[in-house]
Amino acid sequence: MNSIEEKLWNYIDGNCTPEDQQAIARLIEHDDLYKRKYAELLSFNAEFANMELDEPSMAFTYNVMEQIRAEQAAKPLKAIVDQRIVRGIAAFFLVTISVLLLVALSTVNWSAGGAVRWEIPQIQVPDPSNPFMQGFLFFDLILGLYLFDAWLRRKKIAGSM
Amino acid sequence: MQPKFTDNELIEQTLAGNQWAYADLVKRHQRFVFTLAMRFAKNREDAEEIAQDCFVKTHRSLSSFQGGSKFSTWLYSIVYTTAMSFLRKKRIDTDSIEDEGVYIQVENKPSAYDENDVERKSRSYHLNQAIAQLLPDDATIITLFYKGELSLEEIAQTMGIETNTVKVKLFRARQRLKERLERNLKHEAKELI
Repeated sequence: MNSIEEKLWNYIDGNCTPEDQQAIARLIEHDDLYKRKYAELLSFNAEFANMELDEPSMAFTYNVMEQIRAEQAAKPLKAIVDQRIVRGIAAFFLVTISVLLLVALSTVNWSAGGAVRWEIPQIQVPDPSNPFMQGFLFFDLILGLYLFDAWLRRKKIAGSM
Repeated sequence: MQPKFTDNELIEQTLAGNQWAYADLVKRHQRFVFTLAMRFAKNREDAEEIAQDCFVKTHRSLSSFQGGSKFSTWLYSIVYTTAMSFLRKKRIDTDSIEDEGVYIQVENKPSAYDENDVERKSRSYHLNQAIAQLLPDDATIITLFYKGELSLEEIAQTMGIETNTVKVKLFRARQRLKERLERNLKHEAKELI
């Protein structure tokens, strides 16, 4: 069973049934203990309701808005770009490719059958003894070694972190 | 005086890209959010950090606010979860009112007083002192009920618990606050004698 205080708090908050409400009101009227407790709780209730709210610093709103601005500025481009634009571009290319494919397939002469000959195109390989070709290959080799070295360095730094 | 815009209108304006609207929303709720944060952090610097973090988080997820409940209820639930994770992270000493450590701390305050002291030690001062000595959950329920103007159902929604549990917790929190307030005032009276 609820204590007197619990009943009275429910009465004060208006959290009891109408029957309970009437019963407690009668008790407050006729019972000294209830009357005294009710007066006490009412005064506490009024006091609690008068509690003061704390005040943040003057720059609080400014700080919040600055934080939001900084967060938005730091957002990667990927997050800012509207996904609808990306999807639109993708749809455009898909439609274009599909149309081109359909046009290409519709122009194929299917009745030609085995008459069509498939050949690997002839590629003219440049002469490696040519000084220009040797220079080009040497440059490629140096560039390849440079990039490989850069990759190894990055890997080493990442591993040490 | 009626505010020019309702919370929901300010949210719409913010989502349309008007940042002044969000600044207005922050100004409107900052005192209550800061007070709630103070119930957990117990010092102004940490409370400001929590409160700022809440408003930034709220702004980030503003587009997901459905408007099914009051904006304040939604905001306070963010404050509650942010403050709880802050407590977990910082492992702040959440002394209960049974913990004499807090009581000793209050007792050890300088007993000498001047005219300003007497003025400062009003009942409101004692009430704030008593609330600061409660468990964060008790202090939060009391604050939400009396100053947040939330119903028991809304408090339950904010704290993620059952309405009946809120009812019981509110009753206990009020009992503890009453006891603590009486004890502090008794101590004050002794000090004056």
